[in-house]
Amino acid sequence: MKNAQNRLSGEKKFSYWLAWAAAMHVMVFFLAISFQLWDAGRHAEPKILTVTLVSLPGSGASREYSDNKGGTEAVETPSQPNLPTPAVKKNASQPVPVPEKVSVTPKQIAVEPLKPRPIEKKPDINQALLRLKQNVDKKMAQLPPPSTTNLSNALARLQQKVKSEGGATGTGSGRGQGSSSTGRNGEGRGSGGSGSEDSYKAQIASIIQQNWSFSNQLLKNSYGMEVYVRVNILTDGTIRQILYDRRAPSEYLNNSVKKALEKSSPLPALPKEEGSRDVWIGFVFTPEGLK
Amino acid sequence: MLDSRLGIFGLLSDAGVVVLMVLSVLLSFSVISWAIIAFKFGYLRKSLRESKAFLDYFFEVYNVDKVFTESEKFRHGSLPRVFRSGYIEYRALGDKGDTQHARARIARAVKREVNAENKRLSALVPFLATVGNTAPFIGLFGTVWGIMNSFHNIGLTQSASLAAVAPGISEALIATAAGLAAAIPAVIAYNSFTQQISVIERDLEEFSPEFVAAFINEP
Repeated sequence: MKNAQNRLSGEKKFSYWLAWAAAMHVMVFFLAISFQLWDAGRHAEPKILTVTLVSLPGSGASREYSDNKGGTEAVETPSQPNLPTPAVKKNASQPVPVPEKVSVTPKQIAVEPLKPRPIEKKPDINQALLRLKQNVDKKMAQLPPPSTTNLSNALARLQQKVKSEGGATGTGSGRGQGSSSTGRNGEGRGSGGSGSEDSYKAQIASIIQQNWSFSNQLLKNSYGMEVYVRVNILTDGTIRQILYDRRAPSEYLNNSVKKALEKSSPLPALPKEEGSRDVWIGFVFTPEGLK
Repeated sequence: MLDSRLGIFGLLSDAGVVVLMVLSVLLSFSVISWAIIAFKFGYLRKSLRESKAFLDYFFEVYNVDKVFTESEKFRHGSLPRVFRSGYIEYRALGDKGDTQHARARIARAVKREVNAENKRLSALVPFLATVGNTAPFIGLFGTVWGIMNSFHNIGLTQSASLAAVAPGISEALIATAAGLAAAIPAVIAYNSFTQQISVIERDLEEFSPEFVAAFINEP
């Protein structure tokens, strides 16, 4: 009886210590979490501040803004919405010297801090933004789209290649006889390059190039960045298989090639000269473009 | 709230089922072994302290009745318990004239209590040895499994870059770390407790005949 009581008391004590150990583990767990949160907070990255730079008129302004007489607005950052606007009164015809206005601003804040003028401020910002947008659009319109350049380069390369191989003009066939070095008569048979095949290659290359979205600025190193792929195309133009003959060190480049090829499928149907069989066509992708 | 970048917790959230199971087993091992450590630490310390105090009193007084009365104060000590069982047996003897018979009966009662005390002292301690021996291997199993999965995923993604390899291996290594965290305190406590238990057992072996002699030679 006594032994049983002792055992029961011992078990009770052990259960107490078991609960204590579990509680300690939970506490250690939460301490570790809080430590990690604290550590993460200590090494937190600073907030990203977006700053809009606007050229001011006057002698220190850029030539573009100096020439533009209408553009004399000063745009403030939206981080100070409660401050009263400086006494920049919009005058579309005359550029107002800025330093004078800047020197006036603190005085007005000191004297009349409770007179915000948001109505005057809004059109200034909108006009400045509108002007910036127009400038950007103008510059973008002047620049040719990069994909078009790459496409034209690729097409030019392919055309040169076709010309150099001498098969650009239609189909041809040749037959010849000759004597081999062993004294036996040899017979050779060959066929000239098919012009339609080359044009087909150029066509699908341009399609793939158009579907290829890749920026070489994302590559840290362009050394050895070449992807050699072979594509098996069925007669209806469907890409059945894509094989990497050589992969680039960058998975980004490899994946972009694969996506471009998948996106391009189905390609135009194969030319009739190819018959009813599927074809394998190889491409070399480099950060500069498709070869 | 918890970002996936946050240290080991981020890794745990990405760990596989087997690794999580291994970690839960190791966590339960750790909880139980810490409970045993806390329980046994207090128990053995009290036993050692009270045994020493009781022995001092026993050799000072040498009157079994007084010693028995005093032994009630030392309820957690091993030696006082053994003494009490011998005293109860001695008082239960009807014929104290037959010294041989009385000695045999008291010795038997003392021996039985010594055995019970040995069992009580060493209870739960082998679990610490088990944790100390097996926890690293269980952790290693989780690591090996995690690395297997990691390599399988590397094969699927067809990329052997450090960014693809490192997270999987890092997740897997948590299991080994958890195994070591459970095993190290268990091994340390096991060695310490074994040493303390052996001291108490030695005392019991040495002083049990003294107790029997004290009962027989009581004036």
